[in-house]
Amino acid sequence: MKRPWVILLAGIAAAVLGYFAFYFIGTAQCRAIIHEQEPELAWLKKEFHLNDAEFARISQMHASYLSGCAERCRMIDEKNQHLKQLLASTNTVTPDIDKLLAESARLRAECHKQMLQHFYEVSRTMPPEQGRRYLAWVQERTLLSDSHQDMQDRHH
Amino acid sequence: MKSENLDRTLREWEIHESLPPRFQERVWQRIAREEAPTSVSPWTLFSNWLSQFLARPSLAVSYLVLLLFTGLVAGYWQAHVEQTHTLEQLGSRYVRMMDPYQAHH
Repeated sequence: MKRPWVILLAGIAAAVLGYFAFYFIGTAQCRAIIHEQEPELAWLKKEFHLNDAEFARISQMHASYLSGCAERCRMIDEKNQHLKQLLASTNTVTPDIDKLLAESARLRAECHKQMLQHFYEVSRTMPPEQGRRYLAWVQERTLLSDSHQDMQDRHH
Repeated sequence: MKSENLDRTLREWEIHESLPPRFQERVWQRIAREEAPTSVSPWTLFSNWLSQFLARPSLAVSYLVLLLFTGLVAGYWQAHVEQTHTLEQLGSRYVRMMDPYQAHH
């Protein structure tokens, strides 16, 4: 084969190899996180620079929080199902509906309280600077995620 | 001696036949056709250009280095974009795990 063509093809091959080499190196960390048993916690460890001891402690807290969360979700689902039946049977706000709405709101408030408590516990387990950053980040996306201005902006 | 005879013979040789009609015109036309530039295929043009361009070792090395560098930069950039997207998704998944009843927008 003529030398110029060999050089041309070698250049293209070098570009392709270079691309895949840096691509695989660059995505290695993410691929490792995705393949963890709990990728969300693996992400947390990386994002907030946790050491193994901090991560182990937070994993335990996380498991404990989730078991309580599952129970609260079950109760909320029950209330919602009941509310759905009541709403389908009337076209006014009956005392039963009012009571059920109040109970749902109380349950939801309890959820938020437990969630916030968990966030505080997790943030205290992290290094101080990371703990503050975690708290701000997670509160922004949960308890403070909706504001009237945000909703107006979304509708425009 | 032989060459003198040949020279004399050639000098004395006379041609009495006439040229074919429009002989000169046809000769000039043939010359013009031979000298006219022939169309070259784009593939041949590229091949010739490539041979000239990569004939110099410095240019060949520069070409290889440039393409390798381009591949590395493209791979790095693509990895960066995907990593950012994946980490954002994982963050969102963590939040949904903490608050499953959060409204999705």
